[in-house]
Amino acid sequence: MSYGLIMADVRRGLFDERNLDLVGFCNVLNIDPWLILPKGAYNVREAYFKRIIQVEMGEEEFINPLNAVITVKKVIEKFGDPFALIFSASSSGMEIAPYVAGYLKSPIITDVSGYQKESGTLLKSLYSDKVFASLKIKGEGFFVITVRSGSFRHEAREIEENTIYEKLEGLTRDERRRFLGYIEEEKQEVDITKADFLLSIGRGVGTKDEIPLYEELASLLGATISGSRPVIDKKWLPKSRQVGTSGKTVKPKVYLAMGISGAFQHVSGMKDSECIIAVNKDPEAPIFQYAHYGIIADMHKIRDRLIQILREK
Amino acid sequence: MMKKGIDEDWTKRVFACIQCGKCTGSCPESAKTPLNIRMVVRRKQFGSVSASQHVWYCTSCGACTIRCPRDVKPSEVLIHIRSDLVESGRISTSIQRALENSLIQKNPWGKARSKRSEWALKADFQIKNIGDLREKRLLFTCCVEAYDPRCNVIPRNVSKILTYAGIEFGILMEEEICCGNEIRRLGEKGLFEELRDENISNFKKYGIEEIIALSPHCYNAIKNEYGEEAPGVVHYTEILWRLLKEGIIRVGREYKKKVVYHDPCFLGKQNGIFEEPRNILMAIAGTELLEFTRSRENSLCCEGGGGRMFYDVDLEYERNAKSRVSEAQELGAEVIGVACPFCLVTLEEEAKEKGIEVKDISEIITEVLL
Amino acid sequence: MNILVFLKRVASSQEEELKILGEGEAVDLSRLPFKLNDWDNYALEEAIRAVEKEGGHVIAISLGAKESDDVLRRAIAMGAGEGILILGEEALFDPRLRAIVASRFIKKEGFNFDAIFTGVQAEDDQFGTFGGYLAGILELPYVSMVVAIEEWGKGYVLVRRELEGGLMEKVKVSLPSVLSIQTGINEPRYVSVMGIRRASQIERKIYESSLYMEGVISSIEVLKWSYPPKKEGAKILPYDIDGACRELLQILKERGVCQ
Ligand SMILES: Cc1cc2nc3c(=O)[nH]c(=O)nc-3n(C[C@H](O)[C@H](O)[C@H](O)COP(=O)(O)OP(=O)(O)OC[C@H]3O[C@@H](n4cnc5c(N)ncnc54)[C@H](O)[C@@H]3O)c2cc1C
Repeated sequence: MSYGLIMADVRRGLFDERNLDLVGFCNVLNIDPWLILPKGAYNVREAYFKRIIQVEMGEEEFINPLNAVITVKKVIEKFGDPFALIFSASSSGMEIAPYVAGYLKSPIITDVSGYQKESGTLLKSLYSDKVFASLKIKGEGFFVITVRSGSFRHEAREIEENTIYEKLEGLTRDERRRFLGYIEEEKQEVDITKADFLLSIGRGVGTKDEIPLYEELASLLGATISGSRPVIDKKWLPKSRQVGTSGKTVKPKVYLAMGISGAFQHVSGMKDSECIIAVNKDPEAPIFQYAHYGIIADMHKIRDRLIQILREK
Repeated sequence: MMKKGIDEDWTKRVFACIQCGKCTGSCPESAKTPLNIRMVVRRKQFGSVSASQHVWYCTSCGACTIRCPRDVKPSEVLIHIRSDLVESGRISTSIQRALENSLIQKNPWGKARSKRSEWALKADFQIKNIGDLREKRLLFTCCVEAYDPRCNVIPRNVSKILTYAGIEFGILMEEEICCGNEIRRLGEKGLFEELRDENISNFKKYGIEEIIALSPHCYNAIKNEYGEEAPGVVHYTEILWRLLKEGIIRVGREYKKKVVYHDPCFLGKQNGIFEEPRNILMAIAGTELLEFTRSRENSLCCEGGGGRMFYDVDLEYERNAKSRVSEAQELGAEVIGVACPFCLVTLEEEAKEKGIEVKDISEIITEVLL
Repeated sequence: MNILVFLKRVASSQEEELKILGEGEAVDLSRLPFKLNDWDNYALEEAIRAVEKEGGHVIAISLGAKESDDVLRRAIAMGAGEGILILGEEALFDPRLRAIVASRFIKKEGFNFDAIFTGVQAEDDQFGTFGGYLAGILELPYVSMVVAIEEWGKGYVLVRRELEGGLMEKVKVSLPSVLSIQTGINEPRYVSVMGIRRASQIERKIYESSLYMEGVISSIEVLKWSYPPKKEGAKILPYDIDGACRELLQILKERGVCQ
């Protein structure tokens, strides 16, 4: 059976959950999942892989796209062409996949989130998920893809035979690109446009005295606090925390809006958030038209209960 | 090409300034923000090239230009300084966004151009495309009215009244674009010209003979800054008053409220329309019309115009809307009546806190029409 | 220092609901305005800043229909020294084909450059492959998602690239190299309409893309366009406070923002 060559998505010693999407993809296509992995003790779910090839390279060398080319070429030399070269659509995969594809002049499709068996097409989103294209790869030879996180995980199956282990040694290094170190984001001045999770408070908060409890909730949730203009105008939160046309435009992973009605000027600043959750006591509040999830309730009651649950943890 | 009303000869005027300070005295932003309009002119006299970001505090209310005894037109001088900043590319991101949106989607918020006339689809009666009409009377909506759900009611209400009065009119649908009034005031001259030219070419294409502007900002641009090629333009309050006066529409119900009328800068002090909105309100039975201490030529600007809508002001200061609403409250007003979408949204934001309503005149009249 | 920057003209689709024509044959872009791809705008600004500091020349290159001249004029107004159009749309949709065309163009026309900048991805197709693929063909070092250029040294550049969750990686790459630039790396300057008008007076060279397509064809084909599963307004969580809170926490967990 032909194989899918999976380049492990690893970072700082961790074997990412996203790798299971790559396994799932192979299973859906009915090809053997092979994994290439750098040196190190990774928590690999070995039973998913037909073959695991450990490369004599450290993690940082391994995920350097210039070295990835060397590794992939060597695997192909040794084992023949795979059916596909498979990466996750992560900060590594997005960098390595096109580079390797370009080097080998292979067809490439990125951010694949589905597969249709009958037509043999791959599904890819375009225009920020507004439309999807069913794509067919033409011509001979293998192709390169990156897989969207979460899209094939449920298809991942353990194999019945034993996993074969290999070592790949004697690889050169391309010195033209060198890893110098990791840098954590400096956490000085809070920049709400960079936050992944915003807890945003509106006029519904009522009085200034309620604010500290929302700050506590934010810190328990690991969220950054922001607000609508009335809250900023009253100086309950600093101006730098204002979301909207006369404040900041934000696109966090989650925007939790509490006591915000959803006025045009506010919505313009947050509508592109990946997930919007609104808490409002008014079921007719316009914010619910933009939200993915809604809770119709008193925001203070929700806050108090959340704090209670989180403290108990 | 020199366009009527756009002052190209401004450098000479700068030297007519005697630094009397009337401009600063009348400026609604002086003292509370770093903007000092007299100093802006002064620095230009010295030929200073370093433009300060303070000019972004100007709301283009025009008070300085009206008060100036030497016809220096300080508000125009300020636009030229903004222009220098715009041409240098050094402008705040929020203003940049508004300008780029106006170039691409033809409105400052970057809303889809294809959705420009969605407000009309939501009406429960048919609003015609200007191309399908014999009488070439155009209803021109402002970007705020086209896209802000709060303001959608203004074009819908006025359309309803016109339809009811049997006045034929149409809209440009997706071809309508920003009038450019605020864009010119933000100093983006080239973009203003582009918007103006596209609008004028549409006016010509459909042979438009008369324009009813819903916003004083569009009214001002078309009337004073579009040049001879633009058709005649009226503000909707002028038409409504004529219809009432001639008995074509009649007020049937009472509106038992104390209403204080707020003069929009671009309607009142800049274009002299003071009476029509007041006459409309006075024609309504039960309505008691109140006046602000600062009204008519002296009306206090709401701070929505001149691009201030798009300026991310870092400074904390008291908004004029707040003092306006406080005075309305002291006067015992229940409603603040306005005839401009900018005034509507800026005043309403403060008024909500105090339990006072802010209504566009078209909203009030629609409630009481027979 | 000479930097080549690749620019793409894209449909501005953020505020639109896109329509699919026929039985999934095409996406209707006819009513959409077009603009410079946002990522490319940052790449262009970064390139201009680099030559303003280090000296040199920015060449803006766009592959596409003749209307792509818009983005070249904009680039010149912003500070690029030259604008070049590789005319033709056939290569546009396939990431492989367009990178091959660009690489052949660069080789054949004999450009001298220290770096090639591209945006991380295009707003329309979001392949995010152009810079990497091009670097692969040209066998040049490559760094993607660059969020800061820290130092231009002799024969190298020090950059930071963005990883997940606020983490960054510091990388040293030798020149010439290809960098794909992430949004937020700078604040692109405003380009006025008058600036664009002035830039129009500088000639932009045009090359036919067919010159660089010999023997290669598109390697992917769209069989069908479809809509994503429909979103039906907000999903309202249960009315009782405790249930709603627990479900809320579950959603936060799934979204990866809260443990
Ligand atoms: C030029 C201009 C620029 C503007 N720029 C911005 C901007 O940048 N950002 C911005 O946010 N606004 C801006 N605004 C203001 C905007 O128009 C709205 O007034 C504002 O967003 C409303 O804020 P809000 O939703 O917090 O308040 P409201 O609209 O008053 O809504 C409060 C909400 O809280 C709910 N609520 C009340 N009590 C409770 C409770 N106990 N539990 C749950 N829910 C409750 C209510 O049902 C209501 O929906 C601008 C306005 C103008 C004119």
